[in-house]
Amino acid sequence: METFDAVIVGSGACGGWAAMELARSGFRVALVEAGSSVNPAHDFHHRWPYELPFHGQGQPGLLRKRYRGSTEFNYRLMIDDIENPYTTPDGMPFRWSRSRVLGGRTLHWGRVSDRMSDLEFHAASRDGYGDDWPVSYRDVAPYYSRVERFIGVSARAENLPQFPDGDFLPAMPLNCAETIFSAACGKLGFPVTQRRVAQLTRMLNNRPPCHYCGNCINGCDVGAMFSTVSSTLPEALRTGRVTLMCDTVVSAILMNAENRARGVRFIGRYNKQEGEIGARTVILAASSLENTRLMLNSQRGGLANSSGVLGHYLMDQVSGAGVSGFLPALKGAAIRNDDGKSSGLYIPNFINLGKQKETFIRGYAMSASGGAAQFPRFAVNHAGYGSSYKREIKRLYPAFARVWMSGGEMLARRENFVEIDPEVKDAWGIPVLRIHATHSDNDKRLYAHFHERAREVFHAAGGEELDAKAAMAPPGSLIHEVGTCRMGADPKTSVLNSYCQTHDVANLFVFGGGCFVSTGDKHPTLTMMALAARGCDFLTDKARKGEL
Amino acid sequence: MEVDENRESDSMTRRDAAWMIARALATPAGLALASGWPGAAQNAGGGAMRHSNAPPERDRWKDYRPKFFTIAQFGALRMFTQVLIPTDETPGAREAHVPEFIDFVLNAAAEYAPEMQPQWQKAADYLDSVGFAGMNAANQEALVAEMAAPETDPNKTHAGFPFYRLMKEMTVRAYYTSRAGLVENLGYQGYAYLTEFPGCNHPEHHKV
Repeated sequence: METFDAVIVGSGACGGWAAMELARSGFRVALVEAGSSVNPAHDFHHRWPYELPFHGQGQPGLLRKRYRGSTEFNYRLMIDDIENPYTTPDGMPFRWSRSRVLGGRTLHWGRVSDRMSDLEFHAASRDGYGDDWPVSYRDVAPYYSRVERFIGVSARAENLPQFPDGDFLPAMPLNCAETIFSAACGKLGFPVTQRRVAQLTRMLNNRPPCHYCGNCINGCDVGAMFSTVSSTLPEALRTGRVTLMCDTVVSAILMNAENRARGVRFIGRYNKQEGEIGARTVILAASSLENTRLMLNSQRGGLANSSGVLGHYLMDQVSGAGVSGFLPALKGAAIRNDDGKSSGLYIPNFINLGKQKETFIRGYAMSASGGAAQFPRFAVNHAGYGSSYKREIKRLYPAFARVWMSGGEMLARRENFVEIDPEVKDAWGIPVLRIHATHSDNDKRLYAHFHERAREVFHAAGGEELDAKAAMAPPGSLIHEVGTCRMGADPKTSVLNSYCQTHDVANLFVFGGGCFVSTGDKHPTLTMMALAARGCDFLTDKARKGEL
Repeated sequence: MEVDENRESDSMTRRDAAWMIARALATPAGLALASGWPGAAQNAGGGAMRHSNAPPERDRWKDYRPKFFTIAQFGALRMFTQVLIPTDETPGAREAHVPEFIDFVLNAAAEYAPEMQPQWQKAADYLDSVGFAGMNAANQEALVAEMAAPETDPNKTHAGFPFYRLMKEMTVRAYYTSRAGLVENLGYQGYAYLTEFPGCNHPEHHKV
């Protein structure tokens, strides 16, 4: 059997990146994906709702039962919840949105690419809660740049200490609703910028610029938004050193007698036959929680878990519906292409930056947008019928707008954790996760504070609120789940070192959000990728020196 | 589930169009072609319905026979949805094939959401019990007004209100996701191929 230099489990943002970097460095790589292959040129195209059998809503009950969190447009990119169950205790919901497909969630992600700052990496030193990260901004900054220059991030530089600037492509213009919200933030003295998105505004690395169709979350047909399949995978495959294995479900990490990983065991997705892939280095990049599940399933008590913290400190970010309604300035306006760039406005965190002033610690970022989005979802609950109703819906269509929680810090707490469910197994007989997560009082106070500020922004824009309920979403809803495999300088209290290498097993690396020590208030993907890039540098350097 | 993989639009499938654009932009020779596409200047501003990329609705409803409702129930549903979304200066429920879509959805609900079917059966029974299909237009309008009254006046009640809401919700969803509703009525401008994003060009929107 061929022994690879590295086996990478998972082809999402970090797996694709690692395959590209390691293959370019001369590694022979096996890139293993549990889901099917996908080809944007053949599989992705603009689909109008009326071209789909159920107008985008899916067969009744299907998406609720089998493909939670998806639509008829993109459910084939999502995991099948019946084949892949997970459990939660009664009254403790956790929404876990997953993809098993080549490219993983990069195929339909929100594309927001933020840098975290030292205010987040060193938050514990500032307010005394939890632990600092074992890295500083200056350690990660060069890797943020490397990733940004490759994936392409459209953004405005703002020179804010809590929101570091990067290597940006030109920003996109704001639509009318965003322009009004921007003026409202100016009036309130809130910082404001364009959401920083991995969408090209000019050609980059052989990828064409965005054509502003707004179809991002259903798979970009031309590769103008960053995804593994449009960006890192073609580069990886071009080296000729990457063996891509789709429909291959990894079930465990294989170890040898010298406490070294020697590869992975897998089960064929369709034929259910077991096999092994031998490798000198094992890299897990199957998502925060799937990585942890693999480690917990690989050895009694968890592989590389001498610290006992594997599975603990699960986080999402705090989120909720926010505030929605109408901007009077836009009622009856000409219909414009308002959702074509689907980026929106971003209001960086401005809470607890200096002295601790609020009744809660840490902070949050808001987003705002509006205009003629495809479906006028307010119409269902708008009173009336007949011609007058039709005219009113059309008048309100371009004026619908909302302010929402882009990401609020959810505190890292040991009692939020995942473990292996003693009974339930997936379609391949692999034990599944049981997820325990609740919000802390701090999380709730932070959300309540956000809701007040969101209403301020909405009202300053002249907005008429439709729904003023401060409904916080259950953990997992923002799909920013991180933690459970935290990094740290001390092997007694962390699983990984700052290079995403396990303290216990020298040739086992874990890329993705599992390593996060805290959530911060930024979208997590760019930080995951930058840390993976940093880990790859470390790995190749150590491998060259024979120190792995 | 019905999936039509062989759908064709009039000249070129959208898949082909997307692929050609990717190729065109990826090569210098393609730049001339690219500059011929609608740019922001052509698409910004203007109130009337402009060029749309929306493909025609394929003819899936021609000769459609109801599968969930009886012919009589289906007839009543057609009249009811036409009161909700009438044909006026823009297409209505009829042109959007709302009743056909509702029947199609309810028939398909058997597999994963069977609980929907008895609700709609009750709604159909209700319309039958009040003789809705046999009423003249004015009486139909008057009945729908009574059924809908609790929507705007919480002090009012009506036995038909839950059925009104049930039918309105799906009618609204069906209509505004149809070509008639989304493109011809609302004038949705998305799903475009543009060289730049048409941002806000209204000075008055920069002040609040």
